[in-house]
Amino acid sequence: MSGAPAPLPGHDGPLTARQRAGRLLGWLLAMLLGGVLIVRGHYTADLSAFLPASPDTRQRLLIEQLQSGIAARTLLLGITGGDASARAEASRRLGTALRAGGDFEQVHNGDRAGWAGDATGQGGAGDWLVRHRYHLSPAVGPDRFTVAGLRDAVDETLSLLGTPAGALVKPLLERDPTGETQRIAEQLIPSGGPRSQDGVWVSRTAPRALLMLQTAASGADLDSQAAMLARVQKAFDQAVARAPALTGLALEMSGPPVFGVQSRARIEAEVHQLAIAGTVLMGVLLLLAFGSIPALVVAFLPVATGIVAGVVAVSLGFGAVHGMTLGFGSTLIGEAVDYAIYFLIQARGPAGSPRLGTGFRRWQRQSWPTVRLGLATSVCGFAALVFSGFPGLAQLGVFSLAGLLGAAAAARWVLPALMPDGAAGTGLRRPLGRATAWAAQRLPRLRALCWLAGAAALALLVAQRGTLWAGDMASLSPVPREAMALDAQLRADLSADEDRTLVVVPGADLQAALRAAEAVGARLEPLAADGRLAGYDSPARVLPSLATQQARLASLPTPAELQARLAQALAGGPLPAARLGAFVDEVDAARQLPLVDLAALAGSPLKSAADAMLVQRSAANGGGWLALLSLRPGARPIDTAELRTVLAAVPGAEVIDIKVELDRLYQRYLGEALWQSALGALAVVALLALALRSGRRLLAVCLPLALAVLTTLGLLAAAGVTLGILHLVGLLLVVAVGSNYALFFDQFGQAGAAPAGEGGAVARATHEDTLASLLLANLTTVGSFALISLSQIPALSAIGQVVAPGALLALLLSAAFVRARPAPAVVPPAPTPV
Amino acid sequence: MISGMKTLERRARRAAAAGGLALAALATAGAQAAPALDLDRVMGQLAQVRSGEARFTEQRTVRGLDAPLTSSGTLSFAAPDRFTRQTLLPRPETMAVDGNTVVLSRGGRSRSLTLDAAPEVEAIVEAVRGTLTGNATRLRQHFRATVAGSVEQWTLDLVPIEPRLLVLLKQVTIVGRLGELRTVEMRMADGDRSMMVIEPLPAGAAGAAAPASR
Repeated sequence: MSGAPAPLPGHDGPLTARQRAGRLLGWLLAMLLGGVLIVRGHYTADLSAFLPASPDTRQRLLIEQLQSGIAARTLLLGITGGDASARAEASRRLGTALRAGGDFEQVHNGDRAGWAGDATGQGGAGDWLVRHRYHLSPAVGPDRFTVAGLRDAVDETLSLLGTPAGALVKPLLERDPTGETQRIAEQLIPSGGPRSQDGVWVSRTAPRALLMLQTAASGADLDSQAAMLARVQKAFDQAVARAPALTGLALEMSGPPVFGVQSRARIEAEVHQLAIAGTVLMGVLLLLAFGSIPALVVAFLPVATGIVAGVVAVSLGFGAVHGMTLGFGSTLIGEAVDYAIYFLIQARGPAGSPRLGTGFRRWQRQSWPTVRLGLATSVCGFAALVFSGFPGLAQLGVFSLAGLLGAAAAARWVLPALMPDGAAGTGLRRPLGRATAWAAQRLPRLRALCWLAGAAALALLVAQRGTLWAGDMASLSPVPREAMALDAQLRADLSADEDRTLVVVPGADLQAALRAAEAVGARLEPLAADGRLAGYDSPARVLPSLATQQARLASLPTPAELQARLAQALAGGPLPAARLGAFVDEVDAARQLPLVDLAALAGSPLKSAADAMLVQRSAANGGGWLALLSLRPGARPIDTAELRTVLAAVPGAEVIDIKVELDRLYQRYLGEALWQSALGALAVVALLALALRSGRRLLAVCLPLALAVLTTLGLLAAAGVTLGILHLVGLLLVVAVGSNYALFFDQFGQAGAAPAGEGGAVARATHEDTLASLLLANLTTVGSFALISLSQIPALSAIGQVVAPGALLALLLSAAFVRARPAPAVVPPAPTPV
Repeated sequence: MISGMKTLERRARRAAAAGGLALAALATAGAQAAPALDLDRVMGQLAQVRSGEARFTEQRTVRGLDAPLTSSGTLSFAAPDRFTRQTLLPRPETMAVDGNTVVLSRGGRSRSLTLDAAPEVEAIVEAVRGTLTGNATRLRQHFRATVAGSVEQWTLDLVPIEPRLLVLLKQVTIVGRLGELRTVEMRMADGDRSMMVIEPLPAGAAGAAAPASR
């Protein structure tokens, strides 16, 4: 953002009109270019930005599942209001409308008017299943068609006759006496499932009808997802509008597509609100301080520059800007305005200043080195985040870096072109400065209290160390708590709990993945048989591997053999073999049918089941396919260690407990962030040591910052706040903002008390101006972050909660620990430039 | 086929007479002569029996088959919502209902189903479980119920409300004596019938016969 030319070296006068025009034009061009890049940029809101870039095997499988698994494309709907029959009617109408539209691969609402009625074999999906029953039924094998096997299978089918279920079996009795269709159907009926009432799914706990949809499009494209959600709402409105009985019904939507779209909208809305509220707040403060509208406008230029710089840097560096990063951008306002305040107040010459238009030169000499050092420390702090293994965290780091640099550069080069002598008006600046000076003189007496507060905070942190950092992945999400609560309710109603145990097994191609799933299944069977597992779902049950299908078909007897064995098996039974001619013919016909592959499932109810359990991997993840087998725990929770032993022989098979893995991921994330923050802090200290070249001064600068961080943490712990990664980012911001205060007070310490006399009065006025600028900068920071702490977005409010008190403490503690030197100096020496 | 059914009915009456005496004590004071018999009265009397075990014999008449199908096994229930039907012959098969879950085991495979997710299954379960535990509310949820006879010897007719069940099952007729069930007859929509005859066992005696009831 430093598109403006550097000042001519050795030049001491005011900027020429050409220089001023050049700087402004350069800045305008840069902002324009940035604006274009921002408008053309891509914005995302999925959680994947907060997933690690270099995960271990299990984490990668989990992430793939989260990103491209069916969960990412699942939309949950609830219909509330009215009575049960109205909700059921609305659900049926909505279901019909959505099935007719092309947005969804699957629309489930419990309405089984579709395929179940066809299971009798007449046309459509049911007919296809019946014809391919010898490919798909797990019971088909060499034993099935022996005399004993046939007798057993027919007896089992007969055991259903004469019961209410008999009507479903009977129409197929002569074609499928061994009940293969029944076996396939058994696997398709879920064991859990939502409650059904009036023919549609309803909640067990609330008056609500439920639908579950799978979108055809992938979840990545937010614009098309937003359009799709709008079409769902419209379909609902139309379905309800046509019937007076259905008025008063409302539609609830949840699931990853909704989260993505709503998060973006919410972040946009909140960023707008926060920006407006923050701007108004700061405007009032600045107006009070300066009493000048032009000064107010100028003060916002570095803010705008910083935000543009941040978004452009992230957009160029990452290809897409995460919604969270944008939200975070609004937090930068409070800090970026500081640079403008420092300039506008400090560049103002003392009364009777020698030459107009040169105030900025003096500011650049006296204050810029301090501001620059503060900037450099902030850069060090955030640079640690840039190298984070988590793209989301790295984005925040890049955004902050570019934003701070942009804002500081605008204050350094653009503001002198507009207001070379700082802000003209006085407003409340004088009283502000005097009040600050008064307070600054008395604060050092409270050092004991500060130490006490720090010690108390430390004690509290040590006492709570076990539970303090207990955030989880959800705390990183921009999704508000109420939306999460609705999602949890709908998931519970639909028995679509995501916290389950999966076995994930890869294959070089689809068939390899299916064979691997069959191998896993064979090892899970014993666990399911003795109750260690209540059961499991495998894609190989829905779509057996070609090898398995071939083996099944090979086990089918010839018509002559089958007839002979049937006669023997059924002799004396209630079902004479003579009636099973159709069975013999169809077994023979099955051998001529092509094998079933994934494409052949299209249009059958098996398709959605197969899609849910098979994931085609992106080339980035090595290509191939993943088969997902989800396990249902028996009476006791699943023993993952035991499972891993059982499955050790299947290459690549991984057991993933989703909740455990997500927590592990978060812990890794937190650990990395802590480690990086510590590195950042170390870099800050090293930089300060290098610049200040004095142990005492270094201590004087670092001590208030460290105490501020400690006390802030203590306050949060005392308030019972659960700390997460974004609180940590907030602490980095506290150090970034606070280092400016500490350095200015260090500068005062070097300058010493203002001397008496005329020169003393001037120096005192300058000193009070600087103090006023610090207080004003602090008030704007604290105010804007206090606003942010009220945000609905958990991640933003976390940052606000930390920075608002942290920045205030940093100023107070810097003032309290200021080192006054007895020997006065008229011109304060600048810290060594870096 | 007809004669088979007659035999069963005779056995049912015999069983009712025999078991009735033994369990009359359990059936309590409500058994005193009362003029108007309604569902709540019959259910109230059934509800007093908190648990029980029984042997059953079932004969199913299926059109198109050369002979009726017979099976037998044990029944057990415990209020408020546990019920197990264990078929021992001709092939082992279990239906164990506990609360909202039913576990079906046949042919070496077990499947669990959530009852309220499948209203037609739930209704069939309630016809027997709801009657055994004397839960009139649950019965009324799924059936139009009418009672006839006397407190001593009553007949309960249940017609499904759920349209999806009605296309499978036309009517359930339960005959009972005081606080216990004697026969359960189901008439399917396609004309098939099943008749289950129940012989109560003294409390605890079925422990060996129905190990899966707990």
